[in-house]
Amino acid sequence: MFPFTTLLISIGAVAGISTFLAVLMVIADATIANYGEVTITANKEKKYVVRGGSSLLSTLMSQEVFIPSACGGRGSCGLCKVKVLEGAGQVLPTELPWLSDEEREQNVRLSCQLKVKNDMEIEIPEELFSVKQFSARVASIRDLTHDIKELTIKLAEPSAIEFTAGKFIQLQTPAYELTDEPVYRAYSLSSSPSVKDQVEVEIRRVPNGICTTYVHDYLKEGDEIIFNGPYGDFYLRDTERDVVCIAGGSGMAPIKSILLDMVEKGINRKVRYFFGAVTKRDLFLVDEMKELEGKLPDFKYIPALSGPLPEDDWNGETGLITDVLDRHLDSGDNLEAYLCGSPGMIDACVKVLTANGVPEELIFYDKFA
Amino acid sequence: MKQSPELSIAQTNMRPGVITLYGFLGPDDRNLIDMLIDDDGDVKRLGLTHEQIGRRMEELRNQGAKGLGEYIKVAPHFQVRVETVRGKLPCPFGEPGLHRKTNTQVLNEASGREVVYSDLQIHLIAEHGFYQGRKSRFRLNPADLAEVLEITAEEE
Repeated sequence: MFPFTTLLISIGAVAGISTFLAVLMVIADATIANYGEVTITANKEKKYVVRGGSSLLSTLMSQEVFIPSACGGRGSCGLCKVKVLEGAGQVLPTELPWLSDEEREQNVRLSCQLKVKNDMEIEIPEELFSVKQFSARVASIRDLTHDIKELTIKLAEPSAIEFTAGKFIQLQTPAYELTDEPVYRAYSLSSSPSVKDQVEVEIRRVPNGICTTYVHDYLKEGDEIIFNGPYGDFYLRDTERDVVCIAGGSGMAPIKSILLDMVEKGINRKVRYFFGAVTKRDLFLVDEMKELEGKLPDFKYIPALSGPLPEDDWNGETGLITDVLDRHLDSGDNLEAYLCGSPGMIDACVKVLTANGVPEELIFYDKFA
Repeated sequence: MKQSPELSIAQTNMRPGVITLYGFLGPDDRNLIDMLIDDDGDVKRLGLTHEQIGRRMEELRNQGAKGLGEYIKVAPHFQVRVETVRGKLPCPFGEPGLHRKTNTQVLNEASGREVVYSDLQIHLIAEHGFYQGRKSRFRLNPADLAEVLEITAEEE
């Protein structure tokens, strides 16, 4: 009996101490970590009165100001940088790896690591004030190729989105299977801006990718989905110049959005779209591109295969996209270019474009990096 | 073997769902330090260094990048394809900088064997001697890399 009583007393003591410590932590959190109300002033004019204690990233999010972040605030993507002019304190060890010397001199901070403890003055790009978080449902999932899916997302709250063709959103992947935190990944919008209650994105499977595996293997029509946006500065400039577009694979997304927008707005500029692929099975939305050729007065879709198979029975352009582009470019006069894809492809195409007389300042790109 | 707090943090970062879906460890439940020591031994037995292996991976990656996402022949008998998708990944060891989501596929036409690796994997091998956990889906065995990419002890 004696050892059993001792055991019971010991268990009771441990439970009591644990409870006491838990209560202490709650009190400490409510008092020591309670920074009270503070004011965050953004761009010298927008003021947010908030409760201190949380990260700048999540505090701004609670005020519906969405700073881009791919890792959900875990300090592992380095995207959520914000200039903090006042009220930040010392740079934290967890921020150091992400900030260059120049950024530190300019008071750039990693907003997911920086706690809001007192009044702050920050500077963020104006476009971020137009960014919203959307709750939505998956309306449809369509296979475009063996590894690219088109997602159509119907907005719920808010029920409408405003965006310029060429922009991207950050799609949230909730915790699933092997993950225990939501993450965000960026995808260009491929739908027309005139359609305000739903959006489309094209998502290519990435081996070991958290978001693409979720979309390809787990997400179903009817599922709820969250995204924020729109972001980015890739868009058709308002000029009368002829347009060259170059993008392959899921890089087509912003180009398609721009082309659809041109149809809606009656923009009649000359456009040539060079789409690079390896074999015929890598081509997609060919019918849609042909349809756009009929709707725009001077648009040509030019797919180029670098390694067509005999069974492809291919009569179109062949070779690397840079070679095909070079063959087609007569001169760079009155031309501007829009490129979307990998840094390597973009760098190579920029060389061809500038060699053909297109000024660098008239070459616009969305480098995947 | 006991490991430093920094390696413990790195090991936590390597778990599934933190940086990539399947992580970097697979079912390997050893301490990270033990994985690094074992692979270091394997590399030394091959007469190579991690830096040498990383350099060769990078060299083939750079040659393959000229294909702009399509297969390109690299002498003497490799077919290399380099593809990039949107986004970047941090190093689980917590250093500054992000690595592009670039995948390099190298087919050795002489042996018929292929390896696939990312820019992050090049970094992990060259800078940290980390080849991923045993039976991790994306583990690159030093011996396999040496054979497929034809890295020999004389390559300096």
